[in-house]
Amino acid sequence: MTEKDDPMRRSFLTRSARALALAATVLATLPAAAPAARAEELVFSSWGGAYQDAIRKAWLEPFAREARISVTEDTGPELAKIRAMVQSNSVSWDVVTAGGAGLMLGVQQGLFEPITDAMVDQSQILPGARNPYGVPSEIFSTLVGYSRRAFPGAAPASFADFWDVRKFPGKRTLPNKPATVLEAALLAEGVAPSEIYPTLSTPAGMERALNKIRALRPHVAVWWSSGAQPVQALASGEAVMALGWNGRFQAGMDEGLPIAMAWEQSIPQVGYFMIVKGAPNREAAVKFLRYMSTAAAQSRFSQYVAYGPARLDALPLIEPARLARLPSTPERLAHALFMDIEWWAKHGQEAQEKYTAVMQGN
Amino acid sequence: MAGGSAGRHLGWAVLPLGVVLAVLFLWPVAQLLGLSFDSPAGPLGHYARILAVPAYRTALATTFQIAALVTLLAVLLAYPLAYLMATVPPRVAKLLTLCVLLPFWTSALVRTTAWIILLQRNGVLNALLTGSGLLEAPVAFVYNLSGVLIGMSHVLMPFVVLPLYGAFRGIDQNLVHAAETLGAGPWALCRRIFLPLTAPGVMAGATIVFMNALGYYITPSLMGGPAQTMVAQLIAFNINQQLDWGLAGALSLAMLLATLAVFFLFQAVFGLERLMGGAHASGRIGTPFALGPRGRSPGGRVMALLGAGVALFLIAPVLVVFPMSLGSSPFLAFPPQNFSLRWYEEFFSRPQWMASVWNSLTVAGIAVAGSTLLGTAAALGLSRLRGPLARLVETAFLLPMIVPHIILAIGLFGMMAPWGLVRGPWALGLAHIVVAAPFVVITVRAALRGVDPNLELAALGLGAGWFTMFRRVLLPGILPGIASGAVFAFITSFDDVVLALFLTNVRSRTLPKLMYEGVAHEINPTITAVAALIVLFTVLVLLLNLLLQRRAR
Repeated sequence: MTEKDDPMRRSFLTRSARALALAATVLATLPAAAPAARAEELVFSSWGGAYQDAIRKAWLEPFAREARISVTEDTGPELAKIRAMVQSNSVSWDVVTAGGAGLMLGVQQGLFEPITDAMVDQSQILPGARNPYGVPSEIFSTLVGYSRRAFPGAAPASFADFWDVRKFPGKRTLPNKPATVLEAALLAEGVAPSEIYPTLSTPAGMERALNKIRALRPHVAVWWSSGAQPVQALASGEAVMALGWNGRFQAGMDEGLPIAMAWEQSIPQVGYFMIVKGAPNREAAVKFLRYMSTAAAQSRFSQYVAYGPARLDALPLIEPARLARLPSTPERLAHALFMDIEWWAKHGQEAQEKYTAVMQGN
Repeated sequence: MAGGSAGRHLGWAVLPLGVVLAVLFLWPVAQLLGLSFDSPAGPLGHYARILAVPAYRTALATTFQIAALVTLLAVLLAYPLAYLMATVPPRVAKLLTLCVLLPFWTSALVRTTAWIILLQRNGVLNALLTGSGLLEAPVAFVYNLSGVLIGMSHVLMPFVVLPLYGAFRGIDQNLVHAAETLGAGPWALCRRIFLPLTAPGVMAGATIVFMNALGYYITPSLMGGPAQTMVAQLIAFNINQQLDWGLAGALSLAMLLATLAVFFLFQAVFGLERLMGGAHASGRIGTPFALGPRGRSPGGRVMALLGAGVALFLIAPVLVVFPMSLGSSPFLAFPPQNFSLRWYEEFFSRPQWMASVWNSLTVAGIAVAGSTLLGTAAALGLSRLRGPLARLVETAFLLPMIVPHIILAIGLFGMMAPWGLVRGPWALGLAHIVVAAPFVVITVRAALRGVDPNLELAALGLGAGWFTMFRRVLLPGILPGIASGAVFAFITSFDDVVLALFLTNVRSRTLPKLMYEGVAHEINPTITAVAALIVLFTVLVLLLNLLLQRRAR
């Protein structure tokens, strides 16, 4: 699809060769936006890599075949770029993807179209995952992953164990962003799941979580910025325990790395697909979101990455072996604390500033 | 005067770059910086917040400390290497130049990954040090200040090495002979001849390194720890993850003003003008500096050895890339347990990789052509301007180096996307002209200072027209400056991620952008295969070149 760019490349060659000689002229004659009216199409933009490969195989390609809509892919849907598109009236994307925090921020800035029940039926979606501006695409979890080599006997099982450096000695790795870490810190303190966000909303509660992180700071080897890092750190021995995403740990385990996950406690997050305000192909976008959120389509995604479906009635369609790898089974969700994206939309910046200060050693 | 009108009106040559920067830099950036005075808490609300929140204050101080340290390191490391390059046969010098430039061919993501593999607790360096008994327990070289300093001075050092090499070559060999005959020892030679004569080149390089280092954030975020958080990281965070463009604008403006203050302070205290203008290394008169017939002095031998060590430091991560690219695990285990060609297959089976290499080269072509022409003209023009105007214009030309690229990226996207320029190489090409032109201005300015004005006057006095004089006197004198400016423009363009993220789409995306896709989730080892292939290709071209030269002789 997007990969078959040969003619395009050749046109770059000729165009740029000519252009280098006659820069000004060519610049003046470059056609502005003029797409010919063709069959229905859809422009989809996500984060590239294995994640977008999975989306392509599970949803984009079958959708393009079945709905006879030609799908063009793009990459890098940074919120800032979406905002610049909306502000300069040059929206070229129809459907974009983001995590909960990105979704909420975009909603505050008016970057996304509301999604009504008439457009997409979300009644079967997990209640903790529903949102009026985005359709949940998958569930992934933040949890404790550890090196099996470091703990051959009693294995860590909870966030409390993650903080217990006496029982489980060795270096840790944490995200360099506060989302899920503040929650995990309070869960490790023994705060009840239902009390986590009310506690974090008070200055004293926030300080309590930060202090818990301060206490662990001497044992942190890496504050990771990309999801591959915690797996890398466990594999190299840089750390023995990591707070990371289940899909990445799973990918490492599938490659034979000596890693395991503590599923007893987890913080699920939701991936969302949104329609950009002013999307050029809004109708096709709605059709795609409807297609992607059906139980059958939802059950397919985990063939390619270890992320779970956003609706429970997709679970029976998944074979048991694969189910064991996914975060959104009823047993695992029973002990899980869904990340509250509205709380993060409201307190995210302040939390990041305080968390950065803690990481810096203040 | 015989100089004719061309010479007298040369000052106007600053105009083309001036106009380009006004339209493609000042205008879009000013719009974003303007947002910083618009906050619910009054016009200075964002600034009050920067002062109130410890993370921002700490990061501002850290940024300047790291930039200063990196500049110092780069200069210290560059001297022995540049000396070595100037005192070996030209063919070896070419190979050393390759060592200096190859790291840029591997792209920031591959480079930092390779460094981490070398430096981490269970990495190659620690294995060597503990294995040989030099260290008892492994030391953490990465995820702390040393990681940031190693990563940044590694990639910024070429900006000092190349001008310095040019300066060494510009020293008249006869001068060195004369000094030696008069009894100057190595130390006196160094202090009285080498240091003053290489000062303009070093100052040019150091300026580039310092300004560039201030805006770094990918290397510090991957190789440093939280204590090394730099302002650009916080700006990018507020732009992308918080959409707080006002606060990001305020941080940028604060950085910009602080940088200008440092710049002027430096000039006032150390007399940058005097240093840069003091020495007229009239390089084209005598024999270029090289190793004398008596070989190296003991001091020279130490310098050469140090230089070889620095070259090894520069090339080390590139050497790691090859075994990495042959590993079968997607987790870049090192040394790889099983060897396979998996990532090379991936590269050749997916045309997107070749397409992005091609896009990168197209964009770099636009950037090099545009910035070299505009930058050289501007430097020539600047050399004719005098007084405060000259200073103002010169500082204005350096601004694109200081303003965080992400600010420029957003401003330019709003301007160019409605015209459809993002679908081709033009949006990014023009943006790269803006950020690369300052390099050319600086290097050509430094080269111009090395050209003896008396030569110019002599040529004009002997009846040469201005253009003849330019072609026969000025151009040969500043050609090395233009060349290193063009090289800098190329590597700036070829290595850029931030502007590419905004100013390209899936068809026009460049290699660094493709490498960064998916990086939030995983690092695709195909990028190591790409890096290895590009390095191999470059080395092959150079070897072929050297071989053909030998044949021709």
